[in-house]
Amino acid sequence: MSAARPFSILIAALGGEGGGVLNDWIVQCALASGLPVQTTSVPGVAQRTGSTSYYVELMREPLGDDAQPVFALSPMPGAVDVVLASELVEAGRMVERGFVNPQRTTLIAASHRVYTTREKMQMGDGRSDDATIHAAARALAARYVSLDMASIAAAHGTVISAVMFGALAGAGALPWPRETCERVIRDGGIGVQSSLAGFSAAFDAAATGAAREALAAAGVERAARASPEMWAPLLATLPAPMREHAAHGVARLIDYQDGAYARLYVERLRRLADASGAAGTSGGADRASASTGAALADAARHLALWMSYEDVIRVADLKSRRSRVERIRAEARVRQDELLDVVDYLRPGLDEVAAILPRALGMRLRSRAQRRGTLDQPGPGLHLPATRLHGLLMLRLLAWLRPLRRRSLRFHEEQQAIERWLAALVRSLAAAPQFAAALAGLPRVLKGYGDTQRRGRASFARIFDTLVERSLGNADAPTPSDATELRQAIEAALAEPAGRELERALERAGVTPLPPAEKPIVWSRKPRNAPSTVVTSR
Amino acid sequence: MERSFSEEIRSLALGAGETFHGEGILAVTKALLQSGVSYVGGYQGAPVSHLLDVMVQARETMDELGVHVEACANEASAAAMLGASIMYPVRGAVTWKSVVGTNVASDALSNLASPGVIGGAMIVVGEDYGEGASVIQERTHAFAMKSGLWLLDPRPNLPTIVRMVERGFELSEASSTPVILELRIRACHVRGSFVASDNVRPKISTRELQSEPAAFDYDRLAHPPATFDHERAKYELRMPAARRYIVDAGLNERFDGDLGELGIVVQGGLYNNLVRALQTLGLADARGRSRIPILNLNVVYPLVPEQLSEFCAGKRAVLILEEGQPEFIEQEISSILRRAAVATPLHGKDLLPMAGEYTAEVILSGLARYLQQHAPELPREAGERALREIGELRARAADLLGGQVPARPPGFCTGCPERPVFAALKLVEQDLGRLHVSADIGCHSFATFAPFSFGQSILGYGMSLASSAGVRNFSAKRPIAIMGDGGFWHNGLLSGVTSALLNQADGVLVIMKNGYTSATGTQETISTPSSESRRVAEGTSATGNETTIESTLKGLGVKWLRTVDNYRVDDVRKTLHEALTSSFDGLKVVIADGECQLERQRRLKPLRARALKEGRRVVRTRFGVDEDTCTGDHSCIRLSGCPTLTVKTPADPLKVDPVAHVTNDCVGCGLCGEVAHAAVLCPSFWRAEIVTHPTRWERLRARVRAALFRALQPA
Repeated sequence: MSAARPFSILIAALGGEGGGVLNDWIVQCALASGLPVQTTSVPGVAQRTGSTSYYVELMREPLGDDAQPVFALSPMPGAVDVVLASELVEAGRMVERGFVNPQRTTLIAASHRVYTTREKMQMGDGRSDDATIHAAARALAARYVSLDMASIAAAHGTVISAVMFGALAGAGALPWPRETCERVIRDGGIGVQSSLAGFSAAFDAAATGAAREALAAAGVERAARASPEMWAPLLATLPAPMREHAAHGVARLIDYQDGAYARLYVERLRRLADASGAAGTSGGADRASASTGAALADAARHLALWMSYEDVIRVADLKSRRSRVERIRAEARVRQDELLDVVDYLRPGLDEVAAILPRALGMRLRSRAQRRGTLDQPGPGLHLPATRLHGLLMLRLLAWLRPLRRRSLRFHEEQQAIERWLAALVRSLAAAPQFAAALAGLPRVLKGYGDTQRRGRASFARIFDTLVERSLGNADAPTPSDATELRQAIEAALAEPAGRELERALERAGVTPLPPAEKPIVWSRKPRNAPSTVVTSR
Repeated sequence: MERSFSEEIRSLALGAGETFHGEGILAVTKALLQSGVSYVGGYQGAPVSHLLDVMVQARETMDELGVHVEACANEASAAAMLGASIMYPVRGAVTWKSVVGTNVASDALSNLASPGVIGGAMIVVGEDYGEGASVIQERTHAFAMKSGLWLLDPRPNLPTIVRMVERGFELSEASSTPVILELRIRACHVRGSFVASDNVRPKISTRELQSEPAAFDYDRLAHPPATFDHERAKYELRMPAARRYIVDAGLNERFDGDLGELGIVVQGGLYNNLVRALQTLGLADARGRSRIPILNLNVVYPLVPEQLSEFCAGKRAVLILEEGQPEFIEQEISSILRRAAVATPLHGKDLLPMAGEYTAEVILSGLARYLQQHAPELPREAGERALREIGELRARAADLLGGQVPARPPGFCTGCPERPVFAALKLVEQDLGRLHVSADIGCHSFATFAPFSFGQSILGYGMSLASSAGVRNFSAKRPIAIMGDGGFWHNGLLSGVTSALLNQADGVLVIMKNGYTSATGTQETISTPSSESRRVAEGTSATGNETTIESTLKGLGVKWLRTVDNYRVDDVRKTLHEALTSSFDGLKVVIADGECQLERQRRLKPLRARALKEGRRVVRTRFGVDEDTCTGDHSCIRLSGCPTLTVKTPADPLKVDPVAHVTNDCVGCGLCGEVAHAAVLCPSFWRAEIVTHPTRWERLRARVRAALFRALQPA
């Protein structure tokens, strides 16, 4: 039985992307071609940025004696001919739900990501792995067409729905000619020119092999600030695994402070290299075990970042550069004939001020603030007009304090902390390379400004005082399990801001956890039924 | 309103013989006009919002026909509207989202059902069930049964839906009983076509006025002793009349097939998915002709006993396809057959799941089981292979994807004025510890998702304050109730505020004053800013001068009342903190003021486009992050969750974690900056003001500045 089978298209999109418009275009085309068609959708609240889907069924030729087919209202897993997705993870979602069938389904998907809140909000890197989704798509689709739809849409100043329509037609998935689609877009009458441009660009991309290229295009080109030529010989004395990061690090630190500071950086790396027993020749590096290599590379990376910690001077310097204004112009797509005004949101607290003062002065200011309990209190919020004369002057004046940084309170404190960390690395590199590799990554928990930074420092100190001290305190070298515990503690510290995860991880490692921070119990006068006791559940 | 229906309004005027193309729910709208309704009312909510929205926008067409359209304050007032058909021979229809709307309407519904109607009365409900549903999963069917209302569940194709609307009014009049027409989500949004007929002018209407009120007739009042006669009439007179009409008009459809020893009884709404399942088994063709006889119930209550016993008699076994729980239809059919001494075995919930949507896949597995038991000679391979494949596909996919597909629930739109309030609430929790938050229905319920994860309970539309009445008396910290202006006017004012005042409760209520019922498509409420003030406001918030909510609360005797500008996060934080800690004993109301960003953008976009075309000066604002000062901690995202505030791989090769990044969809609401300040996050946020077509003076000033900067600024 069942001669002609309906042709089914499942469209996965995000609310507000104009999936409805695309839906209408397809219907119009089918009607114009005299083909029976039906579409359904489940917008509801998903219209508000959530993932949603549209489902189309049509006959590729009329049934004859103008009989109407019976179309299904929802897609059946394994029985969809074309899945069209406006975003990579949404494509993955369709694969997950079994709509992509290697015997039947053409999967046409955008290669860009619109990250979900869960991915974005992590303190570390919570992003899903694009490669995994591409691989699953390639494995389960009869044909996988991956397109950088976002770029095509941006390039032609149109919406993604037009680009999706073009990709659908270009992939040869529709039983009517390109002209029909373009006529229907024209009849739509809104943003016709840009829609048509986006449509045909996507059409060609999907039609030619160009689409496949999108798969390769992953990650951003990284603007490596190369270190000056004269440093090459010095860097060459470092083990191979260190060199790349070291080169960037040197450049960064010259830019941050001066050549002398960069030399201090290289000397510190040198100390680590010697401790690891890896000689300067690449041959020597080969002999060094994999984890030693990893430890050295990671140490080079984090030492550079740590030594160039962000203080008010650094921030002011970075914010008052010409290159920065250029970057903003590019990012905000400011045309040449348009004017740009940039306002910065700054709110340095007493702590930040004390940090850049000469050590003794800073200490006095801080202890005074501590006595008055105003240390953690934020200063006044500044809206600094960075592109106005007085704004720029204010920033440059701060930036010009750079030479004084070496005598500042925070510089002193950071160098102490760095030395402590380096010493620990030196002690473990040769004896316990795996532990050293974990330890090299510990500074990753040092992040941000204000509260965030205090939190990071606390986590760092907490892990160092417990796990690191304990492991290095023993007579015999740290074991691989010590290394694992340290790694897990670092991940836990990056898992959530309250630091409870960290304490749990430490507890698993046999450290007695700290009680949660006290919160005031605020309760109001309740004349009618004043509670005799206050029970708080936490 | 979020959407404009100019296109659809034209199709409402189509005449006999012309073809209507469009959504299922709009086909219903057209069918109402073809049925000569005098009045239409309802309360918006997916999936039926469009029915009312299009009529509200089609005021002229309606006036010209003499049809009165009313956007009711809630479902109760919509249901009460049908009271007009109790004493007057006028047809009326109302609509809402079910089951929640039916709950709200049920008092009026009972009092309507008891006396019954002389003019056709129809309730069009969106059965918000299964994928895409946003409410508790219950059946409207129960209301039809307990009140004695007839329930239509038409086959989801437009000609059938339209026919059921038109016949539904006749059924209502033939049996003096209001009729419910239920449409599932996808049936409301299905796009198809039907051949239209002319709209019918109602005999009694806004243009054909009734000179005299109806005579007094105590027996038509839902009041004892009349109610005892009503109860009898329901089952002795009205139901038999209804059954006669259902048979005479052929409302239920019987599709015969060559496998006469088998049979399927199906709710009309499930028919298409049943056919797809049969097609997969090779038991039906593309145009739906099935080899197994099907009794398709477009009327699921009441059932016609003769029809069912006649269909079932002499079959090996009959399968009943009934979505949701409990299995009312299956139970009724089994007692019908028992009474008629028809011994045919019945199957339904024993072969299909009790809960959840009946997709083609679910129906297919039930069918396969049914055939295995009662027609093992029939080929089932095709269907069983399909089911096996689906299982294998899902398993392989899960294996290949390895949990790399994060969920993507709906969230606040870019620039939404409600997001800053929850950012502020998060900051308040940093000072006061965790709070009990009573959530409500509306966009603000998106705060139950990451990054906010607020809300210990949701008890219904406008119920948040009422639902904290118990909690606040055993909580050391004051609980806080969140409510939208939509919920406030729908129910919250009475159920929440007056009840709290009556009991001199010591509670905190936050009202989101965004000017519309935004979640359902920004329909207007009594406190929606006037069109004039919206015109003046252009891209800025227009709700500032609209003080209906404030004056209402003052009038009720609310003493502690503050209005805050949502986008001033620090002010919101301070105000919430004060409300939660103040020694004032009594209801404390914080009105969070900020117009729905969707409406603002809808006004702004055309204005801006025109200004740019005419070469006038235009300023656009957007925010951004300096990636070289961003350390990739993402606190800003944990406090905002804005779609345009996202992350990207840093250009700096030394940095490990992704840095924050603002996309070009930013509407410059200013939240990032405010949060960066209020939470003392980091110095990375900047605001860019971009001037297109600057004035001569601006250009000169810019040139001078550039010259000075070259001297001061390093590369």
